[in-house]
Amino acid sequence: MGQTTLAKAINMGLRTAMEDDPKVLVMGEDVGRLGGVFRVTDGLQKDFGEDRVIDTPLAESGIIGTAVGLALRGYRPVCEIQFDGFVFPGFDQIVSQVAKMHYRSLGKVRVPIVIRIPFGGGIGAVEHHSESPEALFAHTPGLKVVACSNALDGYAMIQQAIASDDPYIFLEPKRRYWEKAEIPDGFSVGAADPLHSARVLRPGRDVSVFAYGPMVRTAIQAAAVAEGEGRSVEVVDLRSISPLDLPVITGSVARTGRAVTLHEAPVSFGVGAELAARITEACFYSLEAPVLRVGGFDVPYPPARLEEEYLPDLDRVLDAIDRVASY
Amino acid sequence: MTATQHEGLSVPTATRRLSGAKAMVEGIAQEMARDPEVIVMGEDVGAYGGIFSSTTGLLEQFGAARVLDTPISETGFIGAGIGAATEGMRPIVELMFADFFGVCMDQIYNHMAKIHYESGGAVRVPMVLMTAVGGGYSDGAQHSQSLWGTFAHLPGMKVVVPSSPYDLKGMMISAIRDDNPVVFMFHKGIMGLPWMAKNPRAVGDVPPEPYEAPIGPAAVVRPGGDVTVVTCSLSVHHALDVAEDLAPTGIDVEVVDLRSLVPLDRETVLASVAKTGRLLVVDEDYRSFGLSGEIAATVAEHDPGLLRRFARVAVPDVPIPYAHTLEQAVLPTRERIRAGIEGLVGP
Repeated sequence: MGQTTLAKAINMGLRTAMEDDPKVLVMGEDVGRLGGVFRVTDGLQKDFGEDRVIDTPLAESGIIGTAVGLALRGYRPVCEIQFDGFVFPGFDQIVSQVAKMHYRSLGKVRVPIVIRIPFGGGIGAVEHHSESPEALFAHTPGLKVVACSNALDGYAMIQQAIASDDPYIFLEPKRRYWEKAEIPDGFSVGAADPLHSARVLRPGRDVSVFAYGPMVRTAIQAAAVAEGEGRSVEVVDLRSISPLDLPVITGSVARTGRAVTLHEAPVSFGVGAELAARITEACFYSLEAPVLRVGGFDVPYPPARLEEEYLPDLDRVLDAIDRVASY
Repeated sequence: MTATQHEGLSVPTATRRLSGAKAMVEGIAQEMARDPEVIVMGEDVGAYGGIFSSTTGLLEQFGAARVLDTPISETGFIGAGIGAATEGMRPIVELMFADFFGVCMDQIYNHMAKIHYESGGAVRVPMVLMTAVGGGYSDGAQHSQSLWGTFAHLPGMKVVVPSSPYDLKGMMISAIRDDNPVVFMFHKGIMGLPWMAKNPRAVGDVPPEPYEAPIGPAAVVRPGGDVTVVTCSLSVHHALDVAEDLAPTGIDVEVVDLRSLVPLDRETVLASVAKTGRLLVVDEDYRSFGLSGEIAATVAEHDPGLLRRFARVAVPDVPIPYAHTLEQAVLPTRERIRAGIEGLVGP
């Protein structure tokens, strides 16, 4: 399949899932005729028809609620929330219904829904279009939360999430949609890493940097710069936020003794906090420095002309690496 | 807790004993009498007086124009509250259960929390969103959650979690007078309701005059040297009970009542942990990606060398069960808190 953008890779993953299982449906705002505002569902309605690729009204609560009903009747709906900030009108369906139904029915009812959310900033968007709400979903028992960072993962992870009987929040880093990666010819999802595994993208000895989604690329860049300054930085792509792949996370800290967490979302009460807590619990005797958190500031996402100041950049990541390495 | 525990504040010391609910209503009523812009709205806040008695008597005292029973449409009446606040009123809007936040999260976060910032500071939203939290009385997965971790992660609003009748009144007054949106999360178990589990600390000393209890500082409600318990809301009461039980065994427990999660008083937490070296976070919200993680991270990023032991007692990451025995198994009960403390001081 060669060099493929993340957006195209997810598109191909959706197509493969729909070919493999006639119960897989795609629904959302502009996912059909338009093919999605980021073209992630491009061509699917043409090939699978309006019954399987459904253009919905602008009503996120309705989209998710309809998907709940479909899931209860054996379908496997994939809902697109057009932008992260629009997920809030659909929150009750997600946290009160989707997340809790399996548990409340004593396991009798399954809710195999995938909710795709293009998330994060960096594209110069207006308000409500650059949010990173992943911690809110990870804090909700009953949901699984994953974030892809590259085309190969996007292709495989969307298929794995659809195949699971659990409800998923599937986070797509919208500013990385156009970045390409190699998908080998003949690659099939059976050869992919397990969905809830983290991945050491770049081994290192001095500091572990934990990132996911859009920040993985930033972490890799920081590691390359740090190498030039004599620091060996390990980069871990979490891939799965809930559940966390603790053996990989703690194994990395056991080797390096130092940890930096990295995400776009505001730092307080975020994913980095939970990582710091888990590392504190599990790596008590190998931790040699404070766990530093790099992330968005505790303010609403800023207007586009300020977002470069808000988003963690190379300087902020390198500063954190320097501080923990020299502690 | 008594008035004198808040240093630096000139507050009256003559008090009566009031239930949490009566203290909170008194605070609201005094502000309504003082400021005609203060109004109350929500489901059953008028004739019924609030299902957790948070608004009892206000309709009779201030009339239907200022105490508004709304339809069951959270996004509608919270949106109306935001509009009133941006136009200069000071609405207190009750979300009957915090669990219902999902149906109005767009109004809460995309609007109430963001308007001040997105207007470049030109528009203020002096609104109190008060909401009942917590379980323990078999109300199931959608009526028993605490969820303060969710609200505290979203920038743009203060989040307060009072534990005592004194703070329920004083922090309510502070919240009403605050020009920021304040999410006021009160636990059903601290209101002194006859149909909830009996809780002697749900009745406490409350000064009759209006007073502000500050939003921000935590309170060391019990000093101790061996273990720090950081907690909030109803769990403060349980932690104090356990601390008293353990005192004769020679375990000296310090209890920190956070009172406010946004802003979060990290200094008090760090000072306590620096003293004891052992930290137990007790949190009635879900364990992962919430308050307990933030407290651990606060210590870990300051100086992990401060900590000799760390543990959390929180709701494991499952929905709150309906069955009483199962619910008690997941809530941070006295038994679980005691076991957590003993685990930290053991060999």
